Amino acid sequence: MNTSSCPHCGALVEGSEPSFCCAGCEAADAIIRGAGLERYYTERTEPAPRPSGLDGGWDAIPVETGTDGLCRMGLTIDGMRCASCVWVTEHVLQGTEGVREAHVSYGSGRATIAWDPSVVSLSDVAGRVATLGYTPRVLGQEGRPDRDLLMRLGVAAFAAANVMMFAAARYAGWLGGMAPRFEALFGWLSLALATPVALWCAAPFFAGALAGLRARVLHMDVPIALAVTVLYVHGVLGTIRGSDTYLDSMTMLVALLLTGRVVEGRERRRAAEAAVTLAASLPATARRVRGSRIEVVAADALRPGDQVVVGPGDEIPADGTVESGDGLVRMAHLTGESAPLAVDQGDPVWAGTVLIDGGLGVRVTEPGDQTMVHRMADQVRAAADREARPTSLDRLAPWVTATTLAVAAAALVVWWLAVGLSSALPVMVSVLVVACPCALALSRPLCAAAGLGAAARRGVLVRSADAFLDLATVDQVGLDKTGTVTVGDLDIVSADDATLRVAAGLERFSPHPVAGAVLREAAARNIPLPVARGIVEEAGVGVSGVVDGRQWRLASAGAGRIALHDDRGGTSFLNLGDSVRSDSADGVRALEAVGLEVHLLSGDDEGVARAVARRTGISAAMGGMLPEAKVEWVTAREAEGRRVLFVGDGVNDAPALAAASVGVAMGGGVASTIMVSDAVLVGGSIRPLASAVLASRIAHRQIRISQTASLAYNVVAVGAAAAGWVNPLVAAVLMSVSSFLVLWGASRVEPRVRAAEKRVRGAHRPGRVHDSAPVAVAA
Amino acid sequence: MNAIVFLVPVALGLAGIFLYLFLRAVKDGQFDDLDDPPRRILQDD
Repeated sequence: MNTSSCPHCGALVEGSEPSFCCAGCEAADAIIRGAGLERYYTERTEPAPRPSGLDGGWDAIPVETGTDGLCRMGLTIDGMRCASCVWVTEHVLQGTEGVREAHVSYGSGRATIAWDPSVVSLSDVAGRVATLGYTPRVLGQEGRPDRDLLMRLGVAAFAAANVMMFAAARYAGWLGGMAPRFEALFGWLSLALATPVALWCAAPFFAGALAGLRARVLHMDVPIALAVTVLYVHGVLGTIRGSDTYLDSMTMLVALLLTGRVVEGRERRRAAEAAVTLAASLPATARRVRGSRIEVVAADALRPGDQVVVGPGDEIPADGTVESGDGLVRMAHLTGESAPLAVDQGDPVWAGTVLIDGGLGVRVTEPGDQTMVHRMADQVRAAADREARPTSLDRLAPWVTATTLAVAAAALVVWWLAVGLSSALPVMVSVLVVACPCALALSRPLCAAAGLGAAARRGVLVRSADAFLDLATVDQVGLDKTGTVTVGDLDIVSADDATLRVAAGLERFSPHPVAGAVLREAAARNIPLPVARGIVEEAGVGVSGVVDGRQWRLASAGAGRIALHDDRGGTSFLNLGDSVRSDSADGVRALEAVGLEVHLLSGDDEGVARAVARRTGISAAMGGMLPEAKVEWVTAREAEGRRVLFVGDGVNDAPALAAASVGVAMGGGVASTIMVSDAVLVGGSIRPLASAVLASRIAHRQIRISQTASLAYNVVAVGAAAAGWVNPLVAAVLMSVSSFLVLWGASRVEPRVRAAEKRVRGAHRPGRVHDSAPVAVAA
Repeated sequence: MNAIVFLVPVALGLAGIFLYLFLRAVKDGQFDDLDDPPRRILQDD
């Protein structure tokens, strides 16, 4: 039989003439050709994904109009697989009426757009992207590069390099002698260079120290600000008097610490750019029944007692009761249950769930912020407001500061009494110089940034250094089932090829979610789509048409089942369900290999949970877990002193994610879930989690080593300084050696993670013990 | 050795020019995105 492929997405289609596999691809092609971008088809190296339409909720996104009358927003665009994809997306956006600027980034798949809200709306702009087959999502938080910090670093590095040159000349002068006028010239030039460093470059440390003191905490900025102040004042006095200064050490100190900040900021920004989707947000509009008319109103405007109509594919706009009609409702986002729920008259329905099939008249009981989705989001927000935990370094800082001050004071008193004030002051200053916890303060941001980067390269974006370091302390993992271990999408889990082929032909041009599942499965099995004629789609009933000269009818046959009836009275079935992600078993194995206990928590019943656990090699599975039960499980574990890592994707998991020591959301999950989580799995797979835990442990160890070494160095150096053995040259050498040891330690994080991964894999080589093929988990 | 009196300001001045250029580049946003522009030049418009 002749087959060709769809010109847009490349799906196989029967017939020798190339034809589009679906209406979506045809529309995408029309946009691309209409904009004169045909070159895309010859230059691309990867076929486009099949367009699936835009999620709801875009109209509900608040956008601010700038002073120039334009709205600006950052989006991430999923599904772009080659440079031509980026090119065509950017040009289609730029060619959209009302869009003034559009820039799509090759590296990150980020788009920044500016549009005129009086001409075009955000949902229209996003819709153009979706029509092409790519998935636009609103950026959770636009990472703004910190130019200010980079400029401070530039000035500090410039000054440090030059002050060090002058200092080197003066140190050389100790051996060979130096003309006093040059010494004075170099001294004043050094001071001139060091002044902006102390007053401007170091300002963030002063601000941090002040904020800390006001909050009555002695954190790491306090000893740093103290050292900079003492060194600078001493430098000013020394320059005036023509004596030694530590200005080279001071400028280097500021430059190094700013480097740490810049590196930390860069990694943090990358993590903050984790995309957020809008799935379970309330639909912006509802169709309300007013007498004999149906009017479209904002979902917020609904009141208890209103009657709304809901069609197939619609999100239900408010909590309510079914008054007429029946249908299948997909509850996965709310309850975590993968099988669609059949609802009939008198049954309750909830906002944020999607009517897959059928048609409903719903009497609103709780609209707007009274809905279950909203109440859950409130609960989550409350949990997320928990206090920030102090870090080990912050606990150390008061001791370091207090000890330094005590030793400096003691040195001053002893030298004053024993020798005199003129010898005592330089000794006190040298104590304060070498006691500055530069290496101590650098080790944490640098090692954490190196570890964050290692995790990010593997697909785990962690929100902050604190959360990243918490990963190392975790000893238990709770996995949500739907959408985490399983795909969470409606899928065909069993059907024979012939049935699937006919069904795919009938569903080719349908926007229905079931059609998406049928076409995905047909593409996965490389079944060419047959030509269907006379297709009649009746909402809530099914679709019928002619394939291979015979009349077929495809209709729902109860929850999770579709029946294909032929014209001779024969019937075959397609089973819908959720399938286990192909790499879940690998992910679980890796987590166990790094010594974590893995539990499966599911909203589905016990049998389904057990089946999935068996497939993925999880020993402990619990079914029938409501959102509250998951939170209870997490808090009970935490109360026992265990540290729980919870992974989930739905709104129903959000409270548990917030309660766990580390909450990890699936990328592409629900906005509120991602907002409360500490990390996001970009690739939608739990496989890289174990590597992130390893990276955190290695970063932890590296920080401990660096901090121990630098504390030991501080103790020795402070002792030496108190004994009067430290001069500016010795201080400068000590500081650079300790700082570069810390830098070297941070650069070892990535290779160590790779080595540890190899060890873990090696220990579990036996390989694919578990079947990773899709299985039916819901009838 | 008196040359140093001239050479030092000249050297500092030169370095200062580079510093100024760096600060201007940062302000222009040249360091905001380090991943994207190198790929973009491969795509002709």
